[in-house]
Amino acid sequence: MSGQSQSSVQTVVKPATVTHGTVATLKSPTRSQRLRYRTKVALREPTTIIGVLAAALFAYLIVVPIISMLSDAMRVQFGDERRIKQDVGELTWYYIDRVFLSRISHDLFWEPLVNTLSVAAGAITLSMLVGGTLAWLLSRTDMFGRRWFATALIVPYMLPAWTFALAWTTLFKNRTVGGQPGWLESIGFSPPDWLSYGQLPVTIILALHYSPFVILLFGNALRRFDSQLEDSARILGAGRLTVARKIIMPLMRPSLMSAMVLIFAKCLGEFGVPYVLGLPVNFDVLATSLYQNISSRQVGVGAVLAGAIMLIGIITITIDARLMREARRFVTIGSKGSMNRLSPLGILRLPATGFAALMFLLSVGLPIGTLFLSTVMRVPGQFNLDNFTLDYWIGTNLNTVALQTGILLSPDLWNAAWNSLRIVGVASITSGILGLLVGYVVARTPVKPLGTFLRQVTFLPYLVPGIAFAAAYLSLFAVPRGPIPALYGTTLILMLALIADQMPYASRAGIAAMTQLGKDPEEAAQIAGAGWFRRMISIVIPIQKGSLTTGILLPFISGIKGLSLFVVLAVPSTDVLTTYSLRLVDYHYTQAANAVVLIIAGLAYFGALLGQKLTKTNLAQGLGN
Amino acid sequence: MPKINLSGVEKNYGGNSANAVADLDLEIGDGEFMCLLGPSGCGKTTTLRMIAGLEHLTAGEIRVGQRVVDSVVDGVFVPPEKREMGLVFQSYALWPHLTIERNTDFGLRLRKMPKAEREQRVDQVMKTLGIEKYRDRYPSQLSGGQQQRVALARMLAVNPEVLLLDEPLSNLDAALRLEMRAELKRLHREFKTTIVFVTHDQWEAMTLATTIAVMSEGELQQVGTPNDIYERPANRFVAQFVGNPPINIVELGDGKSEVSQLANAYLGARFAELRDAGSIGIRPEAIRLADAERGVADGAVAGQAEVTGILPTGGSWIIELTAGGEKLFMTTHQSPEVEVGEAVTWWAKSKALHVFDKAGQRMEVADRLMRPAKLH
Repeated sequence: MSGQSQSSVQTVVKPATVTHGTVATLKSPTRSQRLRYRTKVALREPTTIIGVLAAALFAYLIVVPIISMLSDAMRVQFGDERRIKQDVGELTWYYIDRVFLSRISHDLFWEPLVNTLSVAAGAITLSMLVGGTLAWLLSRTDMFGRRWFATALIVPYMLPAWTFALAWTTLFKNRTVGGQPGWLESIGFSPPDWLSYGQLPVTIILALHYSPFVILLFGNALRRFDSQLEDSARILGAGRLTVARKIIMPLMRPSLMSAMVLIFAKCLGEFGVPYVLGLPVNFDVLATSLYQNISSRQVGVGAVLAGAIMLIGIITITIDARLMREARRFVTIGSKGSMNRLSPLGILRLPATGFAALMFLLSVGLPIGTLFLSTVMRVPGQFNLDNFTLDYWIGTNLNTVALQTGILLSPDLWNAAWNSLRIVGVASITSGILGLLVGYVVARTPVKPLGTFLRQVTFLPYLVPGIAFAAAYLSLFAVPRGPIPALYGTTLILMLALIADQMPYASRAGIAAMTQLGKDPEEAAQIAGAGWFRRMISIVIPIQKGSLTTGILLPFISGIKGLSLFVVLAVPSTDVLTTYSLRLVDYHYTQAANAVVLIIAGLAYFGALLGQKLTKTNLAQGLGN
Repeated sequence: MPKINLSGVEKNYGGNSANAVADLDLEIGDGEFMCLLGPSGCGKTTTLRMIAGLEHLTAGEIRVGQRVVDSVVDGVFVPPEKREMGLVFQSYALWPHLTIERNTDFGLRLRKMPKAEREQRVDQVMKTLGIEKYRDRYPSQLSGGQQQRVALARMLAVNPEVLLLDEPLSNLDAALRLEMRAELKRLHREFKTTIVFVTHDQWEAMTLATTIAVMSEGELQQVGTPNDIYERPANRFVAQFVGNPPINIVELGDGKSEVSQLANAYLGARFAELRDAGSIGIRPEAIRLADAERGVADGAVAGQAEVTGILPTGGSWIIELTAGGEKLFMTTHQSPEVEVGEAVTWWAKSKALHVFDKAGQRMEVADRLMRPAKLH
């Protein structure tokens, strides 16, 4: 019996139960038989088909616009034929030369670049100091009201960044710009330009806005830190300072670096704040420079600038990815003893609480309070009872050129609000569902390259600051191409751009949820006899209800307060709340603009709160993504 | 009539990876309790998942009863939901959003069973497994053992002809394991289902299975009854994988160690046919110590050694012997009357020796020579 299999080490003695008859007749399958079998297996499940469709969709919504924009940078644009002395569409170095080398390159690119970098550097330093201290106070000390502060100090990130910019102008606006004076001006103190506009306020505001990043990332790292590591050092005789210097800080470095890189990436794409506060003194950053070129129809130059911003973004995120890999290497060290031991602050307990309270006042109380007061006061900064009015909210027959009613009675507001809800709502729901589908395909498809492509293509918009992405959409959809009509000026282009822009978050959430769920529950249903559709309806979607809600709500909140994408793509008829309030700023309807911003802030904040209630999670942490 | 028939089944996950399962021929009889046993990564779970239809094949054919459910050559693939099998996952994979009752009747609802009949069936299965009082709870509210029962109930409810179990006991604590093992054996008797059970735990396989298939690195090593596997391991891998403490293997050829020289001399003097043997295996319980009353048995292999360790395991003892640097382990149920450091004489009967050739395969000829009674 064993005679047939004694030739090599691997051979097996096969006792009586092993069949021999069938082996002889069964030939090894040919290539085409294998292919036929595999096709049959693949077609049983719609996963692969859905994956292919999704891949095509995202290629069109994400890859094509970026390529189109990059090619704009290298081709003669309509209207420039005479100047470049080439025909429209021909290859040219003109725009690249103009942005980087020509005489005006200084104004177009280099100075905005320097401004961007110095604002980012300042904002990073400040937010590290403030956020780092707060993170430590929140997670490692016995400061009063830590739980309350843990949520309260994240609020600045839930508000649109330029809420702060408008609050700042409300307070510090001087004679350089017309319209209503700022509060300081109206009480007789004229703030200098450097305080009112430009680098200083932009830096401070971005620092306040992004310090929640540091609080979240650094605070999480501090909380997750394995206290056994600390104990081991203490037992070996290290003092508290030595432990902090030699053990804690080195292990915290990746999370700090990661927060820095993320803040930099965000500053790079930040448009609203420098637009409101930089314009009066010609303080340009890359995002505003790009915006100005796009709005003056300098398509080629705009494309080069957008490409440059994209490149810087890609480099930054690549660095971040490296750091995160390093961080993961650290995280695996310990999981058991998380650090819940608190350092007593002693006599400093009250001052520390005061510091946290002050930061909350500065970053939430003051801006919101200022904006609100500005909308109910006729003359800024005068606190007489007869100076207060609700006219700007609900008044009628006001003595102004346009907007003769209070903002709540203006059809434009409701139109913009409806647009906001409709556009952002549709886009968020779509991207949430697409994200879950992407997650499903990535986790399930037997065609590995398809999963990889989907994961990467949906991540791509993350590397591209919103304003550059909007420029890419403008480049692709401004004119009719093939069967697609020109979409500029429609709500559709806004929805599409928003969907694409939100895909990184949506697909990341979807992939995480599907991978975490694993195959087992679905396979169990399959064994029990459920087909694909039944499994989706009865098993997958009900289980993923929570993450689907998050996947819709998070994009919704960031979409409602988003500006950079809309400012390029919206026209007056497709105004959303953010662009509408920016338009009001441009027309110097300060109170109305502030009122709209308050409405946006309220929507974003209560949306986040609602999400937190619904999903019983801390959404603020998700916002840090 | 075999229930499940695998022929020439091969699985390769692509790339340059080795075959996860290579050229597997296996027959599982109707009503059999078959254990696929092997170390992790040996392809046993892959085999189970291929039977269930959750993995597709690279080559080969699977039949269930008369029906071909998988054939690469003929382009047949019956999806898992149409194979009418049951599968209990290692993680249980209970649906977290459904109550225990809804988890259990999921399959019956899919089959559109009338309500009254369905409820009766669910009641019966839940009672059998003792989970009827949890029917309105959610899986997260149950303990591991209870979840395990629900996972079983869910599959038994649809009364599958084949029940597949993927290491279902590995997440349970020792006491629960014992209980569930007895439970599984009872269910097998009661439902008369064909069961295929995957485990890396030889003890589990020994106690449960009617037939064990030992696998290693994607290849089938031996198929047989638990007794066969233990008493007549087909090769060195099986011999070493099954048994705790593991079998003592003595390399022959090199003759470097004391034990090796001794074994060489022993075989050479008595069994000329075995001069090509590569190694011999001696199970720890087959080794005895010679004492004043009982010397070395006639015809036994014997040698000198020093006692280097005595490990009580509760009711029995593992004794570590060292002879010229080589270690031998033996077990005994009698309180050992030796001490660490003592010089002793050990011995083992010739019929307790497992002789393997240089390729590691069992030498049948040795069995004929040394265990004549067993074969005829």
